[in-house]
Amino acid sequence: MSDDTEVSPGRGLPATAVPVSPTDPTTGTAGGERPARGRLGGLSGSGLVRNLGLVLALVILCVVGLVTTGERFGSTANLLTILRLAAVTGVISIGMTFVITGGGIDLSVGAVMALSSVWCTTLATQAMARDTHWIVMVGAALAVGAACGLINGLLVSYGKVVPFIATLAMLASARGLAEIISQRRTQIVDVPGFTDFFGAEVVGVPVIVIMFALVAAIGWVVFNRTTFGRRTLAVGGNPEAARLAGINVQRHTVLLYVQLGLLCGVAALMIISRTTTGTSTHGTLIELDVIAAVVIGGTLLAGGRGTIVGTVIGVLIFTTLTNVFTLNNRSTSEQALLKGAIIVAAVLLQQRFAARSKSP
Amino acid sequence: MSLRSAHKLGTGLVAGVAVLSLAACTGNTAADDGGTQAGGTSEAEQGSNDEAGDTVVIGFSAPAADHGWMASITESAREAADAYEDVDLRVAEGTNDVNLQISQVETFINDGVDAIVLLPFDGAAMTPVALQAMEAGIPVINVDREFEDPNAARVTVLGDNYGMGVSAGSYICSELGDNPDAVVAEIAGIDSLPLTQDRSQGFEDALGECGLDVDNRVAADFTVEGGERAASNLLQAAPQIDAVWNHDDDQGVGVLAAFENAGRDEFMMVGGAGSANAMRSIQADDSVLKATVVYPSTQGADGIMMARLLVQQKAMGDLVEVEVPREVQLYAPVVTADNVDQFIDTAFES
Amino acid sequence: MAATPHGAPLLQMSGIVKEFPGVRALDGVDLDVRAGEVHCLLGQNGAGKSTLIKVLSASYRPDAGTIAIDGTETTLSTPAVAMKHGISTIYQELDLVADLSVAENIFLGHELSRGGFSQRQRAHRTTRELLTRLGHAHVSPTRAVGTLSPAEQQIVSMARALSHDTRMLILDEPSAVLDQDGVANLFRVIRSLTAEGVAVVYISHRLEEIREIGDRITVLKDGATVATGLDAATTPTADLIKLMTGRSIEYVFPPRTATRRTRTEPVLEVRGLALAGVFSDVDLTVHAGEIVGLAGLVGAGRSEIIETLYGARRASAGTVTVDGKKLRRGSVPAAVKAGVGLCPEERKSQGLLLDQAVYRNITVSVMDRFARVGFLDERAERRTATELTTSLDVRPAGVDRAVRTLSGGNQQKVVLARWLLRECRVLLLDEPTRGVDVGARSEIYALVRRLADSGVAVVVVSSEVEEVLGLADRVLVVREGAVVHESAADEIDESRVLDLVMEGAPA
Repeated sequence: MSDDTEVSPGRGLPATAVPVSPTDPTTGTAGGERPARGRLGGLSGSGLVRNLGLVLALVILCVVGLVTTGERFGSTANLLTILRLAAVTGVISIGMTFVITGGGIDLSVGAVMALSSVWCTTLATQAMARDTHWIVMVGAALAVGAACGLINGLLVSYGKVVPFIATLAMLASARGLAEIISQRRTQIVDVPGFTDFFGAEVVGVPVIVIMFALVAAIGWVVFNRTTFGRRTLAVGGNPEAARLAGINVQRHTVLLYVQLGLLCGVAALMIISRTTTGTSTHGTLIELDVIAAVVIGGTLLAGGRGTIVGTVIGVLIFTTLTNVFTLNNRSTSEQALLKGAIIVAAVLLQQRFAARSKSP
Repeated sequence: MSLRSAHKLGTGLVAGVAVLSLAACTGNTAADDGGTQAGGTSEAEQGSNDEAGDTVVIGFSAPAADHGWMASITESAREAADAYEDVDLRVAEGTNDVNLQISQVETFINDGVDAIVLLPFDGAAMTPVALQAMEAGIPVINVDREFEDPNAARVTVLGDNYGMGVSAGSYICSELGDNPDAVVAEIAGIDSLPLTQDRSQGFEDALGECGLDVDNRVAADFTVEGGERAASNLLQAAPQIDAVWNHDDDQGVGVLAAFENAGRDEFMMVGGAGSANAMRSIQADDSVLKATVVYPSTQGADGIMMARLLVQQKAMGDLVEVEVPREVQLYAPVVTADNVDQFIDTAFES
Repeated sequence: MAATPHGAPLLQMSGIVKEFPGVRALDGVDLDVRAGEVHCLLGQNGAGKSTLIKVLSASYRPDAGTIAIDGTETTLSTPAVAMKHGISTIYQELDLVADLSVAENIFLGHELSRGGFSQRQRAHRTTRELLTRLGHAHVSPTRAVGTLSPAEQQIVSMARALSHDTRMLILDEPSAVLDQDGVANLFRVIRSLTAEGVAVVYISHRLEEIREIGDRITVLKDGATVATGLDAATTPTADLIKLMTGRSIEYVFPPRTATRRTRTEPVLEVRGLALAGVFSDVDLTVHAGEIVGLAGLVGAGRSEIIETLYGARRASAGTVTVDGKKLRRGSVPAAVKAGVGLCPEERKSQGLLLDQAVYRNITVSVMDRFARVGFLDERAERRTATELTTSLDVRPAGVDRAVRTLSGGNQQKVVLARWLLRECRVLLLDEPTRGVDVGARSEIYALVRRLADSGVAVVVVSSEVEEVLGLADRVLVVREGAVVHESAADEIDESRVLDLVMEGAPA
């Protein structure tokens, strides 16, 4: 709390170019019961409307997939392929939704995932796992992820380093450390219990898909039904007001980054099980996919508003897109182009729906 | 930049070094084909292997085309497929994300393609899904970067990194061999990669044969900027040079720029990988670049050819074998002004 | 400045209608402004003043009605057109760029340049001339605007308006950010502008200011003009309030409770509190049921004192004790836990989660009370919030709407509801009625008294001496970071407080 003189960032000079007076009648003293203004995305209950554009995009994609490739797209095996691909990006995106809603950003997720995967698959860790139980590896991955998150969180909240820079530093150093530990080699997992567990299927559903579903479900509940979720919204929406209302903003910020680090550890377990390897190259540039999915999902990059459902749909849109393109044998460049177009279209659509929901 | 793209010396050479000439689809003559073999699954056809057979669906996946060589891998694969009306090639998005590459292979498996040609971003990481494909009865042709498990691929097509170094070293020996005091410099690629270490080892071994050694060695990173930077440093360190081997023609663009800027041309330079503009330069003889050592970017095309032969149950022409070989390691020839015409058509554009 | 003769009609608006989905914000507004006059616009929050300003500055286009400038009917299609007609607006929340210099802000959008090169020297010279004309010659044109005080920033805004050829200047609550000195300077500037024939449209909640500076008054209510051309000096206050509210109310403070002084147990005790460079050695004792007011100029350290005792700033010396327990320095959670609540000065940036629902703003400080192992019972939250908003008469009702959509007074009630719910022991109010209309003010005063009567110790900070004297039981006068006077509120009058406040201050 060294710089408490900056007690009121908003004092004196609001950044808004168009001032909004408190007496603005469009925001309603006259008139009857009206929902919150569209730009704010409404409050509870309007979540479906907010996600409508996204759901539409996903449905269109699926229709395109079914029309162009039929059963090849619609088969259970293919759907599971999409979900397995979505799982790794997905769990990180859930955690990222919290961090971005809480007013932060984390660029280090891919690097932390790589470091977790390397730490968890070193000869020493594997030897220990074989001697005791494979759960040791799970513990290692989660602990490394959480520790990196803790460092990020402490730097951001107590060190007052802007999240972009703090996590950029973590990106560089986590991947560097991963390279040092692994000596840039790909470490192969030879712990049968581990690969058997994570590679297994429960009634035909791969374990990592189940893990993704669990993380999404828990994420939704925490986001929407708990004090943690509510505090996240408050801290991201107006950190000063949250602080003056008695919320421990700094501690909460730390927790936000820790949970994301932890989920990077979960993602590391998933990628290890998928590849049976841990390497310093895992998760390269995954942070961009994650942030794109979170933002097209409808979470405000500036914080204060977020949606778990939107994030999950956002992840599924990207993975389904890749799948439909692969099935249709379309080129990489076309796919990149369409990806960009989808990001823009999804955001524009959301705004359109939001604007419509503004009128009573 | 897989750790496994390097090939262990020895094992590969034994396995059958097929010197595939770079014209990937040279017609095979049927003269040596041996007909149906007892116990074999193949039924090699009499007549040309190029004759159309049943349509073969091939799934192809490679890392992101972030440099000329890698772009050419996919491009040459496409061209090879286009040359056959019986090949239906499905090319997945090039990616350096193993998670995505795995899902692409899974999609190919779901789709029931006839064969998969795979240049993995990371050989070890792609091993489980390749095994899965093999278990599903889909032959996998592993290109350039080797899997962890030999059972994960039916055929492996490899370049020869050690051989590249040997070729470059031998060529320099033949040019400078009579001068034991000649200064030889080396501009390597990314130093920590096993493939770079293999190339340097081969270079050193070959130079040793004629009593030379590497006097100055710097490492770049396969990029033009990196090449420029490394070469500038090299020139500062060595006031007089007789020969330079640069591992990679993509970074060579920067290396040549650095030489030009410094006005140094007292030496000869040998390139690596074999890009088209390096070869044009050799052809025109307009720079210090006198030769380059090929690391074929047509491996993808070779993979397609072999996938097709495998699925159509044909053998490779010119071999007595009735089955497509288990492993094919490509030769690393030296290209000079004398033979550049032979190679320039299959060189990759950086 | 354009040479419009004094008293000539400059602007005539009639029958202006502006609709938004679901709301008719303006429903027949008539306004005529003459050159060289100060025309005051009065109306409660939500009466349509802000919308009207936006129509004038062409941020909004009216759905019906006519606007004539110099007798010629005109369409104000874009802000640039309005500017070309010489209409400039100084918004309540200043639209300056904090990191740019004073001169850069003034010429933002119409930079002085020749052949693509900016003419810094000329810009600085012109800026200096403008600032001198506005009585702020000491402000350097090269200073970053973010380092200026709110009052100085307002001057920069006005300089920007004057850098155009301004014939009509619209001031939206200009005195809200000013202390007495600033207001005096503002009035001086306004008088010199009107002397040059510039018309000023002046919006303020402070009737005493309107009496002092205004020429004529137009009163708006529910988006329509209910009276126009009233004489600012002579129209009785009661009449104005009646016009604005549609009912007769008085600017009333609740009666003081007689029993308060017999209570002795102190709830809040502050000893030797200091914040390096801002204030020092502040002693303050507040008993249960007592309201203590802090009076002083903006910048005298009033807000800083209560923010420090709340833990939002870390004290450099001294102790804060609540119910006998010492608070940890610089820790808001510790203060909140001990039962201290703060309604901050900047309601929007410090007090409210604007995009969040009303009920969430109310429960934010006692979230745990509605949670079981971290899971929130939103139904209970809504129920409690509904009870509170009903009893405080927050309008419009409905706890699910975003706080942003409420008027200033109702937003303030939401903040108060938060601390009511918290059942706090000490309540700190910083400028509780800023931007709150007359009707809602009385309600807030009554509410504060009710809180005190329930045993809460209340500290009120206000720039309005009348408010401090009317509301508080005891008054502390703060000047330049030190308490210079303390007495019962009924033993001191406004002029004496002003004397104390101004004493030693530059005239």
